[in-house]
Amino acid sequence: MATPIIMPRQGNTVESCIITKWNKKVGDPVAVGDILFAYETDKASFEEEAKEAGTVLQIFFAEGDDVPCLTNVMVIGNPGESFAEFDPNAGSAAPAEAAPAAETAPAGEAKAEAEETAEAPVILGEMKISPRARNLAEKSGADLSKVVPTGPDGRVIARDVQKLIDSGLLVTAAARAGYQGGVEGTGLGGRVSLRDLEKKPEAAEAPAAAAAAPAAPVELGVPVDDSYTEPMSNMRKVIAKAMMASLSSMAQLTHNISYDATEVQNARKLFKEKGEKFGMERISINDIIMYVVARTLAMPEHKALNANLIDDGKTMKYFRGVHLGMAVDTDRGLMVPTIFNADKMTLKELSATAKRLAKECKEGNINPDYLRGASFTVSNIGSLGIESFTPVVNPPQTGILGVCAITDGVRVENGEIKVYPKMTLSLSYDHRALDGTPASKFLVDLKNNLEAFTLMLARG
Amino acid sequence: MSKQLYVDPNVVRAPGKITFTDIPVNTYQKKVKDELGNFTPEEFKNIYRDMLVLREFETMIQLIKTTSEYCGVPYTHPGPAHLGIGQEANAVGEAFCLDVEDMIFGSHRSHCDILAKGLSAIEKLDDDKLLDIMKNFLDGKTYAVAEKEPHETVKDLAINFLLYGAMAEIFARETGFNRGLGGSMHTFFTPFGIYPNNAIVGGSGTIAMGAALYKKINRKPGIVVANLGDGSLGRGPVLEALNMACMGQINELWSDDMKGGLPLMFNIINNQYGMGGQTVGETMGYDAPARMGAGFTPTQMHAERVDGWNPLAVIDAYRRKKKLLAEGKGPCLLDVVTYRMSGHSPSDSSSYRTKEEIEAWWEQDPIVEYRKQLIEAGVATEEECDGIVKYVKDAILRNFKLSIDEEISPRMNLEKNPDELADMMFTNGHVESFAPDAKPDVNMPMEECPRVQAIAKKERWGFDKDGKPVSKNKVFQLRDGLFEAIIDRFYKDASLASWGEDVRDWGGAFAVYRGLTEALPYHRLFNSPISESAIVGGAVGYAMAGGRALVELMYCDFLACAGDEVFNQMAKWQAMSADIIKMPVVLRVSVGSKYGAQHSQDWSALVTHIPGLKAAFPATPYDAKGLMASALAGTDPVVFFESQRIYDVGEQFHEGGVPAEYYEIPFGKADIKRAGKDITILSFGAVLYRALKAADELKAKYGMEAEVIDARTLVPFDYETVLESVKKTGRLVIVTDACERGSFASEVARQITEMGFDYLDAAPTVVASRNWITPAHELEESFFPQPSWILDAIDAKIVPLKGHARVTNQTLNEKLRNERRGV
Repeated sequence: MATPIIMPRQGNTVESCIITKWNKKVGDPVAVGDILFAYETDKASFEEEAKEAGTVLQIFFAEGDDVPCLTNVMVIGNPGESFAEFDPNAGSAAPAEAAPAAETAPAGEAKAEAEETAEAPVILGEMKISPRARNLAEKSGADLSKVVPTGPDGRVIARDVQKLIDSGLLVTAAARAGYQGGVEGTGLGGRVSLRDLEKKPEAAEAPAAAAAAPAAPVELGVPVDDSYTEPMSNMRKVIAKAMMASLSSMAQLTHNISYDATEVQNARKLFKEKGEKFGMERISINDIIMYVVARTLAMPEHKALNANLIDDGKTMKYFRGVHLGMAVDTDRGLMVPTIFNADKMTLKELSATAKRLAKECKEGNINPDYLRGASFTVSNIGSLGIESFTPVVNPPQTGILGVCAITDGVRVENGEIKVYPKMTLSLSYDHRALDGTPASKFLVDLKNNLEAFTLMLARG
Repeated sequence: MSKQLYVDPNVVRAPGKITFTDIPVNTYQKKVKDELGNFTPEEFKNIYRDMLVLREFETMIQLIKTTSEYCGVPYTHPGPAHLGIGQEANAVGEAFCLDVEDMIFGSHRSHCDILAKGLSAIEKLDDDKLLDIMKNFLDGKTYAVAEKEPHETVKDLAINFLLYGAMAEIFARETGFNRGLGGSMHTFFTPFGIYPNNAIVGGSGTIAMGAALYKKINRKPGIVVANLGDGSLGRGPVLEALNMACMGQINELWSDDMKGGLPLMFNIINNQYGMGGQTVGETMGYDAPARMGAGFTPTQMHAERVDGWNPLAVIDAYRRKKKLLAEGKGPCLLDVVTYRMSGHSPSDSSSYRTKEEIEAWWEQDPIVEYRKQLIEAGVATEEECDGIVKYVKDAILRNFKLSIDEEISPRMNLEKNPDELADMMFTNGHVESFAPDAKPDVNMPMEECPRVQAIAKKERWGFDKDGKPVSKNKVFQLRDGLFEAIIDRFYKDASLASWGEDVRDWGGAFAVYRGLTEALPYHRLFNSPISESAIVGGAVGYAMAGGRALVELMYCDFLACAGDEVFNQMAKWQAMSADIIKMPVVLRVSVGSKYGAQHSQDWSALVTHIPGLKAAFPATPYDAKGLMASALAGTDPVVFFESQRIYDVGEQFHEGGVPAEYYEIPFGKADIKRAGKDITILSFGAVLYRALKAADELKAKYGMEAEVIDARTLVPFDYETVLESVKKTGRLVIVTDACERGSFASEVARQITEMGFDYLDAAPTVVASRNWITPAHELEESFFPQPSWILDAIDAKIVPLKGHARVTNQTLNEKLRNERRGV
């Protein structure tokens, strides 16, 4: 018997959803569990699974259509069966007498059952959740977008969150801030990671491409409006929100300074050429910079940058050691492991630690404890030739240092133009935590320390 | 009931008549000149001085209230001021005859009484004793002010001390007699025999009766005076006190030296008005309060009317009545005629009486009259009298200035030091005996008491070696636990006395006291009249006077009959006295079932609502014994709830059974009766056993392990234990036999919601009795919480129980509908 598939209702306040992707087309065979289509609300995306087998008899909406909840979107049945009576677009025509009542009932029942068994996850933000369950989720990073509520009145209770944890449905600490649900985790133990958040837009590209209809021939030189719109994919919305959250929740600004990298380069050269028997041949310029950053941050006058601003901007949380976040580019995306107590490490130790952490990130076996707890972050995109940029602070940290490419700089010395290796450092910081002068003084100290790197190293 | 008294139908049914003797009215008509030789000139003059002190004291407050200044010194007193201008002579006459150890209890209008009694005590105490009292009172704070005042003698100093202490108290100063916590209506000073005055009209009736019981039972010298207004004779508790004070058993049944009436004087200060209501002719039918005495005993309470405007007439009456009281012929009742010339309070416009009436009384002003008599009799000259007036006015003004000085007489700073008052709410003492020098009166060694011997044969653990429950007849029951703690204290504390309805031969309505009749003489355990106010009020007075009382209300429902005595008296006097008074009263309250709407209510919430009362509600023999032992060794008032459903339960929790030896369980420690991890069930009293049944079912059907906590005490309540459990389980059901609305369970639910919000997996749920009347026993299962209700509440509000079929309607709509209807 032909069965209509309705657009599910994901929460009491949701009126309609957008179909983002059809996984089946008319005539396709359907097995139980097959994904029929993907759809999204303004808050999250979902996939509709087939609950019975058959053949797709008809599809009533196209990708990108905004479909009212509980409306029939497709019909599955045996080839040859009639489906016209399920066509919601034929609504203006008088429905078949008596039949609708009998036929819509099963649909209603199916829906009721779905609610009762709570197959569909609830929508974040509209979720009824006990304080205990919420705390457990926050502590564990459980992916609440996938929770199945079993408490009274559809409330998520602690055992529901525990089930997520037991099933490994977790979100990494890094991804949590920007996460709004609906993403399949590919991180450690199936965690949803930042990488997963970034992947999602690709899945949503198809409808966008479809919307870009081929342009009709145009007459040149005549006024025309040839723009077209595409709905933002949910993932872009998520990323947009995360970026806005960072930028709108703090007073961020960036100072740039450059320094003469001669001494740093010389040191690097020395390590490379003669460091092997000391096990120091792989110490990189970035290691050297981090070494100096850590020691500069450890100076008491710069403690505001080695800190978190918490409590809605009411409390400064200072760190006794410098726990340096290090941006690492991996196949899974950007990861930021922490070098704890970097300021107390020798250059060799720091370099070895950085290498180990980067390796673990790349191999995907890093202990999650090393993906948090940073007091400051260093992000190096100099290898791509970027000469200056505005790194975005990772809250609740108060600062991030962007390390840029080394270029040829010129300066006048004794009336002569001299060329020297010049590197720009870009410090973004939270103006709520510190003012421009101390931020500038940090950069100046950092510059001086880098230019006197040998002395720094000798001092230890 | 007593088998010693034979109710002979031939006597009871015989014809005859009841006769009365005449009640004397104002028979004393002498003046100063007629009593020359019977008083020293000093005594005559002191009577004048004392009346002047009272008059000027009241005038000072009157002026402050009405003109905001006294003798040009501005001051505002926002508190109460019920003044006794016109009532000086009766107060001074009464006090003249009272010794230091005689106690007075008074009303809201007691300034005159306390000052007169204080001046009398000062006159009678020797200087060393006076200094000792003053220096040791409240760490000498009050004395430190008074001693700086000019004085020639220690007695002068003591008068300053009295005036200053009373004024400072009225103006709520920390240096006042009760650190400012009592105020105008409650000022008292026990070292001078001045006991608490009561702002509840007639409140002192039952309390004074209890103090007289204390004097009698503990063989203490002196009498007790209840200073009551004529208006208070309309109050039930006063009538209860009159009746209980006259109860026949003291002469008929109490043994040996205990025979003889209570040393108690009901001193009716007949100022003609109860506020504005005129007692004679309007609100009462007695014509004269003296008539009341004839209603209570064949002695007619030796009642007579005395002219309270002639101090000598009052002295004459007191001399005669004190003799009767000393001979064990009490109690007595005096109708002391006086007139309140000031208003009921300063806001009184005297709309209920004529100007002519007030003027007529002013024309006979007793102080003017007495001065005339002094001069006429040649006891004092005009100049001497003027000198006394000056002495008094100077003393009042001087002490007034000191008592309103913010530096010398500061108030408590409760903003800065809230604990100053908080710490006074309970005294938290541990006193083995309030009569450490006395040997407890008992009839036999404890081990010979038949109940003790019977208990010795009982099984103290509720299960036999096969784990089967021991039969009710063989098991040590909850009532046995109570008995053991109670008899133990009777044999340790000679001051402990116990009374209530049917506590003696009957053994208490629920057999807790069975065996005590044999062990204790009448005066330590006696049947009271059916007078709940007098039972509890008597205990309050007994404790104020220095003893320990254990009294009971047969049903919790009767708490309403003793409302003032429990809620205003028992609860308040420790803090109102700045802890000078201790209140070692244990009030046993039996919570019923089976007996319908007026015999089955758990009113624990009323008790917990009132600050100053401790409350226990044990559910096991072990807890009952330990908590009762603790209550009976303490110094605080305890309302001890017992459930009639479980007097016969054996001990099922304390391994090894109920210890035979003495032990105490401290208040404020809940007990985990069963450990669990999935849900917390908190219970109060007997409902514990239904909670455990629900826990059994949760385990058997749903695999959930419930942690069952028995509150044991409600005040103080052990939030820590509940909170720790909730942190573990995240879920809380509170079960109580009380009606849901306003129950203590609801209070705990609110508190835990606040304290443990972040740990909660659902809002704490209360499973309580319906907001109905308690129906007949056969219908009770629809009224009191049942195990199935607990499961229903869990299923509906906390965690759905798969396959559970609810028997109650737990929907929000049903709840809202009920609340709309007020049920």
